[in-house]
Amino acid sequence: MIKRVEVQYRGIFQKNLAKKIGSDIVMIASSMGQRAFSNGRYSDAPERNGIPCKYFAFVSPDLSEEELEAECGAKLEIDEANVSVVLDDTMCKGVEPWGWHGVRPINERVVKDGCLVVITKRPHEELLQFIGKKPYNYRLATLDGEASLAGLWVNKDDLTYEHVLGAIAAVEPTIISIEAVEAYLMKKTKDKKRAEAARAAYNSLRQEAKPPRVKTVTPNEGIVWTHEIPVLPKWFEMQEGAVVPAVPRGFQMGPKGQSRNTGFKRGTTKTQRPAVRFDLCTKCTLCWAECPDECFDPTTDGYYDIEYQYCVGCGKCAEVCPVKECIVMVDELQFHDNNSPWEDWKKDPKTYITSLEAKKGTERVNYPVVTGKGVIVTKGEVMPEGKIVPVRKTEEVEV
Amino acid sequence: MTTTPKIDYEKIKGVHKVPLEELYTSGHRTCQGCESATTMRGFIKASGPRTIVTGATGCMYVANTSYLTTPWIVPWMHTQLGAGGASAVGMAAGVRALQRKGKIKQEKINIINFSGDLGAGDMGIGGISGALQSDYDLLIIMYDNESAANTDIQATGLSIYGAQTTFTPPGSKHRIMQRRWKKNVAGMLAVGHPTCKYVATACATFPPTDYLNKTRKALSIGGPTFIHTYDPCPKGWDYHPRYSNELGELGIKCGIYPLYEIVEGNVIYTWDARKSGKGRIPVKEFLQRQGRFEHLIQEDIDYIQKGVDEMWEEWEIPGVAPLKGILKARI
Repeated sequence: MIKRVEVQYRGIFQKNLAKKIGSDIVMIASSMGQRAFSNGRYSDAPERNGIPCKYFAFVSPDLSEEELEAECGAKLEIDEANVSVVLDDTMCKGVEPWGWHGVRPINERVVKDGCLVVITKRPHEELLQFIGKKPYNYRLATLDGEASLAGLWVNKDDLTYEHVLGAIAAVEPTIISIEAVEAYLMKKTKDKKRAEAARAAYNSLRQEAKPPRVKTVTPNEGIVWTHEIPVLPKWFEMQEGAVVPAVPRGFQMGPKGQSRNTGFKRGTTKTQRPAVRFDLCTKCTLCWAECPDECFDPTTDGYYDIEYQYCVGCGKCAEVCPVKECIVMVDELQFHDNNSPWEDWKKDPKTYITSLEAKKGTERVNYPVVTGKGVIVTKGEVMPEGKIVPVRKTEEVEV
Repeated sequence: MTTTPKIDYEKIKGVHKVPLEELYTSGHRTCQGCESATTMRGFIKASGPRTIVTGATGCMYVANTSYLTTPWIVPWMHTQLGAGGASAVGMAAGVRALQRKGKIKQEKINIINFSGDLGAGDMGIGGISGALQSDYDLLIIMYDNESAANTDIQATGLSIYGAQTTFTPPGSKHRIMQRRWKKNVAGMLAVGHPTCKYVATACATFPPTDYLNKTRKALSIGGPTFIHTYDPCPKGWDYHPRYSNELGELGIKCGIYPLYEIVEGNVIYTWDARKSGKGRIPVKEFLQRQGRFEHLIQEDIDYIQKGVDEMWEEWEIPGVAPLKGILKARI
């Protein structure tokens, strides 16, 4: 028997965290007398900032080490997961697995009665608006917390790692027990705070905990998954050498006027998306000029529409925008569609602005320059229609 | 001997005049906030649709043929790590031969080689040097993110002093593992290649349109030309992707990255801190914004500052040629 744990994380930002969780599950399971093995795989190698990636841990009480490794070591993707940990809740919108299968549901690998553990501040119902339906019952656990984003070199020690170990122990004690987790953390770090953090997460996910954080999801809960699996050319359809057909040339003003690579939309990379108040726009072109993903479509009236299917949410546009509150990065789970914002605004400016401001809320979550140094939350402001206030930049850009 | 047709590009005056059409379009596997993607997008905007792009392996090469799809509209070819220069020469020779034989129309077809700092400035430099000694019409752009970013940030000859990479992790005994000073590729190529009529350094986003115009200038001058671009890399430099723009600007303003162009042997500084009246900003402002310098202490920052000061104050041609003059008496 093999029990599988899948850690779904944001590329680079959570790479070290996921690796640490995966390898320490092995250490803890070993201390309980089980055999264990862990490996990682990039969503699409090499790993890039923000893309959904996975790390795996395999635990078996009866197989020998060789048998376990033969069973799990050669596979790039697992077929089923007993526990699937999601380190960032915006990944509930879908992930891109190994060997491009398009956007797949976050719970695709979760087995019957398995558990999907999501680090989030949201209730179950809100997450289930994005998660695909399963034909059987499974559990959805919400572990209280924010997505812990750090960098390749600077780690962020916010106890997320300890919380996740405690959560796994709560939802699947046969993989790792909470006693073994505590003993391991004490031995390794000699820091009581860490063992206590694991225990607190464990307690919060127990059956009798109030409020209940583990919910059994029945087959009629969740959404119908509409993303199609892209058709890749068969070997006999490929051209000589390694010739890949180019994108046909095409450009016209207006939404979706630019021809794009339809085979590789990568919107699942974003944790935040740029929300634009067109009434505040000064048509300065900077968002369009600085976008590394060519997502902005110039419109005939001088604005720049956004194609969200290709936007990766880097935030460069919001950073270079010279107008206060014109482009703001908003949490991705606030949005249910990828409609053209410019078309929505043209249709009904009043409704567009009201609904956008409701989604923006009052808190503006920004990241400090060096990742891993937490978040900066500032107070936002609802600008009256058409009131353009320049952002005071530290220095004028000399041309 | 056939003459290569010339083209005179119009100077782009202001961001509103930048061509709107994308020839390197959405749907590529680059990181969030990738500055090299902006660089790639920029040169093809400047050069237009009659262009063939080639390049040695680097992060921008695996990023652009994901699962048998590509974001390119113009022809693009990926070649081996050391073969960037040779592939550009081959392409230029091929185009010239086809035009001489009358198989294709006589027109200016731009050949652009876009290689990384490893593919053009470190292990691929031999091929690049060979290409710059040829008489073919080609432009080599080296996008420099100071690491081999394709394989998870290894040090190259262009990694900056003190930076953390997977090859140079700081340890408890040795804080600084990257002890080599950054290689001065643009200066070296300019000094050693009389056939090369145009060498420039640039940054995709600062000053705005400067890079686009340098690309156009290189293509208008013709012959083998070279541009070195500074591309902040959010993954390897460890900063939040939204600040890519700012990091490039700070690097230039603190003097670590001199911006200049060399036309027929004459140096023109395109952004000069000495002229702005305020002078260079301290390098600390640039270094402290990156996770790869998190382990540095004041002593190291002072050392880097000293090196940069020397570059601007003692070099015969500041920022370009590291010679300090001629000694009158023999030592």
